[in-house]
Amino acid sequence: MAVASGGEAPAQAPTGGPVRNRALGASAAKLLRGFLTLREGSIIVVTIATFVYFLITAEGFATSANFKTLLPYFAPIAILAAGEVFIMINGEIDLSIGAVYLITPFLFYKLAQAGLPLVPAVMLALVGSAMVGLVNGFFIAVVGISSFVATFGMLFVLEGLTLVTSHAAPVATPGTSSLHVHTFAQIFGGGTYSELIWALAIVVVLQLVLTFTRWGIYTVSVGGNRLGAAEAGVRVRLVLIRNFVMCATCAGLVGILEAVRAVTATPDPSGSNEILFQAIAAAVIGGTLLRGGSGTVVGALIGALFLGVLHDGLIIKGVSADYLDLYLGLAIILVMSINVFVQRVRTGSGLA
Amino acid sequence: MLPAEEVAADEARRAGGHPPGAAPGANAAEPGVGEEVLRVEHLAKSFGPITALRDINLTLRKGEVLGLLGDNGSGKSTLIKIICGFHKQDAGQMFLHGEPFEPKSVDDARAHGIDTVYQDLALVDELSVYHNLFLRRERVHAPIPFLQNALMRREARRALDDIGINIPRLDVPVARLSGGQRQAIAVARTVSGEADILLLDEPLAAMGAKEGGQILELIQRLKEEGNVSIIMVLHNYVHVLAACDRVNLIQDGTIALDKHTAETSVEELTDIVVEEYRRARQAAIEADTASRAAGGSTASR
Repeated sequence: MAVASGGEAPAQAPTGGPVRNRALGASAAKLLRGFLTLREGSIIVVTIATFVYFLITAEGFATSANFKTLLPYFAPIAILAAGEVFIMINGEIDLSIGAVYLITPFLFYKLAQAGLPLVPAVMLALVGSAMVGLVNGFFIAVVGISSFVATFGMLFVLEGLTLVTSHAAPVATPGTSSLHVHTFAQIFGGGTYSELIWALAIVVVLQLVLTFTRWGIYTVSVGGNRLGAAEAGVRVRLVLIRNFVMCATCAGLVGILEAVRAVTATPDPSGSNEILFQAIAAAVIGGTLLRGGSGTVVGALIGALFLGVLHDGLIIKGVSADYLDLYLGLAIILVMSINVFVQRVRTGSGLA
Repeated sequence: MLPAEEVAADEARRAGGHPPGAAPGANAAEPGVGEEVLRVEHLAKSFGPITALRDINLTLRKGEVLGLLGDNGSGKSTLIKIICGFHKQDAGQMFLHGEPFEPKSVDDARAHGIDTVYQDLALVDELSVYHNLFLRRERVHAPIPFLQNALMRREARRALDDIGINIPRLDVPVARLSGGQRQAIAVARTVSGEADILLLDEPLAAMGAKEGGQILELIQRLKEEGNVSIIMVLHNYVHVLAACDRVNLIQDGTIALDKHTAETSVEELTDIVVEEYRRARQAAIEADTASRAAGGSTASR
């Protein structure tokens, strides 16, 4: 009883000029609609539009020098957002990623001071980040505290620990020097394109995991229908804990990359809270729903790129620093409205 | 039966002893139905103050279709969820092929050959038809952990065509499908696995006559193949008599009736349920009268 899947019957071949133009227009419109049905469709369009806007109106925007200043803004946010996407698809949230980003370089510092060579110290520091994720996962999946509250508490615990152990003083990141970027620093955030490569690699791997592996399927299941997933045999607690471990590890890695790039590790909680919000914003405007069940890592990358382009473009245009946040906020609301509209078109309901 | 006998049979039922209509071992001679594959004894389960199951004794034989009936809230789904490993019973034991059976999880029960279609279908709206069909049984390009999507799509197509339910596109999220199509996917997930005991919790609930008929045909086919034993929760007594070999009725947390469908009728089943309802209503009225009398004497001061 199989019915032929999808596809409309092929249209009649167009004959003359105006008919051909109309046919081309129709297929272009169909392509556009098809493109917009991608979860990432609308954020791609918005980012390109913003980029073009600044290209036209801002002197010096389209230079390689400017691109290089853009990178360290958007690449860390992209990595943080990539991990956070899995948590959000699960219908949860991880508010501690900024704090993990803050404390992990200090853990790395302590380990290097204790005599560990650089790379093992980085590995062990990332294990520390993973442990934070494990604790988060335990309280959320096993004890049953809401993820908002559990990670909120963890945020303060880690920020407090950072200030206590560092005595609120910045330290020189191990393996770096202000004079010369050695190999270690080249790879771990100091090289010009290092953070970009890390971001692209992580986004590609995580998107592949989300779309093509069981880890991804179970993540979507736990977020979309937690009871149903449990009934089908999905190990819900394991899925949740795994994702919190992965997210925290990403956050720890970003912390180290940024500390290496900046040559110092700074115990600045306001900076870490800001990057937390930027990461969540990137994930959401990239097409991951806050309520869970659906999401995209590539979208988060583009969302981070959008935030970077916007921030960078406004600065190049000479917008006063006071206005930056205002414009950023307005842009986010506008982009989300566009996203929601496109989402409705995607699912076919349209505006009332 | 005489009223006195009725009362006596009633008492026997309530005491949780053997239900009327079937002595143990009497069904073994049934043609086409073999030895016992599943037995549960004195199963009990409560959720806080609510007693879902009090003392359940049930047997399932190889190749038979057992219909499980009961009023809303009688504990049918709870019993299914205990057998399939989703809940753990408070008391009682289960035996699978004669061996003690204590599934630690749904996966564990599936590994022992028990698969379930839940009342809420256990589908994930955002996943495609074939991903839902293969949920927790995905095909992977071992040793690389990547999903074999093309293969799963082909097998899903075959499984759904086999059942005969029309689902034109397999890569759409199941949220887009009708209730009947979604139910068909839930049934297909279970039927196309390697389970030898299927637990179906209201498999026809969302289906129209035609689709429901196709599922019943499928169950008939499975029965004829003889490898699968099925427990089916149904509300429609006509379906029960048509599709099932035997019927168990849950009432008051126990099995109140255990008969071959050939030996009972829609009327008898309905009578039992109505009788129970009448008794419960009578008890409620008496309790209400009693409390009002007690309250009245204080209010009339």
